[in-house]
Amino acid sequence: MSNYVLSGNLKFLSLGDVLQFLGSNASTGVLHITSKYVQDPGLIYFDNGNPINAQVGPLLGLDAVNSLFGWADGEFEFSEEDVTAEVVIKKSRMEIILDGLSMLDDGQIEKVGPLSFEEKSSDVSGITSTLPVIRGPLVDYMYVVDEEEAYAGTNIVKEGKHGSWFWVILEGVAEIYRETPKGPLEILRIGEGAFIGSVASLLLLEGNVRSTTIIAVDNVQLGVIDFRRLSVDFLRMSNELRNITISLDRRLRQITDMVVNLYLKKVRTDDYIEGKEQLIHQGESEENLFAIQEGEVNIVRHTENGYVPLANLYAGDFFGHVPFLDIGQEPYSASVFASEDLETSKLDAGILQKEFDQLSATFRHLIEFLATTVSATTLVASDIQKKVDEQNI
Amino acid sequence: MAIFNLKKREIECKIVYYGPGRCGKTTNLEYIFKTYKKQITGEMVSVDTEGDRTLFFDFLPMGLGKIKGCDVRVQLYTVPGQVQYTSTRKLVLKGVDGVVFVSDSLEVRREKNMISLKDLQQNLKEYGSSIFKIPLVMQHNKRDLIKQGFPIMSIEQMEKDLNRQLKVPSFPASALNGEGVGETLKECLKLTLKSFKKEMNL
Repeated sequence: MSNYVLSGNLKFLSLGDVLQFLGSNASTGVLHITSKYVQDPGLIYFDNGNPINAQVGPLLGLDAVNSLFGWADGEFEFSEEDVTAEVVIKKSRMEIILDGLSMLDDGQIEKVGPLSFEEKSSDVSGITSTLPVIRGPLVDYMYVVDEEEAYAGTNIVKEGKHGSWFWVILEGVAEIYRETPKGPLEILRIGEGAFIGSVASLLLLEGNVRSTTIIAVDNVQLGVIDFRRLSVDFLRMSNELRNITISLDRRLRQITDMVVNLYLKKVRTDDYIEGKEQLIHQGESEENLFAIQEGEVNIVRHTENGYVPLANLYAGDFFGHVPFLDIGQEPYSASVFASEDLETSKLDAGILQKEFDQLSATFRHLIEFLATTVSATTLVASDIQKKVDEQNI
Repeated sequence: MAIFNLKKREIECKIVYYGPGRCGKTTNLEYIFKTYKKQITGEMVSVDTEGDRTLFFDFLPMGLGKIKGCDVRVQLYTVPGQVQYTSTRKLVLKGVDGVVFVSDSLEVRREKNMISLKDLQQNLKEYGSSIFKIPLVMQHNKRDLIKQGFPIMSIEQMEKDLNRQLKVPSFPASALNGEGVGETLKECLKLTLKSFKKEMNL
């Protein structure tokens, strides 16, 4: 540990610069490079300032050195020590550097590093928002592996693009949009403590297509969440709690879809409840939590302007009262309509509550934030329906 | 900004040959490598980059004298002009101490010269330097081509095109047979060292 005599980040000092420095210093020892984007560390052995051998995973010698030129982000540490590695690399230092860099620019070396937020979003500027900003609790830095900045006006994620990364907003405000035929529709604004990313991507089988576009309003500081730790937490959960989490995520997508459909006036409420039996009346006290085994359930909110359909639930989903989450829907703020063939099983909310309390703070915050956004999007849906109704009159 | 290597008691400085593709940067460096072989310690590194080669070697020029008891070691580079070679360009131009701009006397390359010079200005700016401040020498290359009947520009025209604002020393040259190569390099070294001494208040 203590024999490191030089360390730093490749973002600041590129590999070419490091090689030149060690070269002009005639250093002998080992350069260790690690990057969170690559599983294996990189090692370059130096004798008197000249690289003589290297290793990155299965790559050895010059191939290994060349691949390291692609690491735009990584930590390096040089330890001064006697080197016994076989002399495999015969090329001169500058030749290695210039060759490596030209191969990198020619696209022959794979670039490894963070996603860039360069892409500017197009036609959403000029929309001024009055939506409140949803924030989350304090961020647990144990789960943050890196920080990134998204500049004002750039996309953090883009609807329809693939991606499974999770971020938490450390500073700044972002807006969530959906693309619609009538232009981008703003749905929510999120701030510090808010999570970006879908729990569905933790289920490696599910698609990891982003369902919304999220744009930085001002310069947003993002914390990259340790995906692996999150996955481990997720796998350790009981099936019941995991299903509730996934179902909640599905509900968020549905309610977001609904906001768009209401905005486009593509919803006919009556179709939703026709032929269905009302199971829970909005505002009624219902202490139980149900898992759907078979059949279909519709969640509908009653407002002064009529019914607002919120979600369509199927086998695997839950409905009812979740004691530890406020999702702003049934039983207090929405009704539940059931199809004739509905079959349910009762879940033990007490056991779930205990399990929930023992989750890691980050995962608990993630689920709570999910519930809050479901609740907030429900209000947005009601609002939009009201506006659409008023325009019709 | 030169690097002081205290271990070797040397000052390393970096001189870069810039110019449009196939203007003769490489020919300049190859001629220097051949002619001053005794003063050159390492190998010449040649990297194939699309349209042009990137060359590098370093040498200890005689008769430059010492600065504060340190020898002056000069690293000579050519830089690939093609847009895609940003990483190479960045490494080469970072901390550059002196620049030789090689222009092509062929009439058909007139525009290429001007574009390349503008490019140099942009690149230097990007890496924290300025074309107006850095020691710069111009070389109007391929003067010999007139003997073979190729239409070439007059020195006056090239000066007007490229050197009107900069007003830096310039030399006609035929790098292929070595004419003007030594003079260009010597002038650039002279300016570079002068600028060092000024920087260090010597």
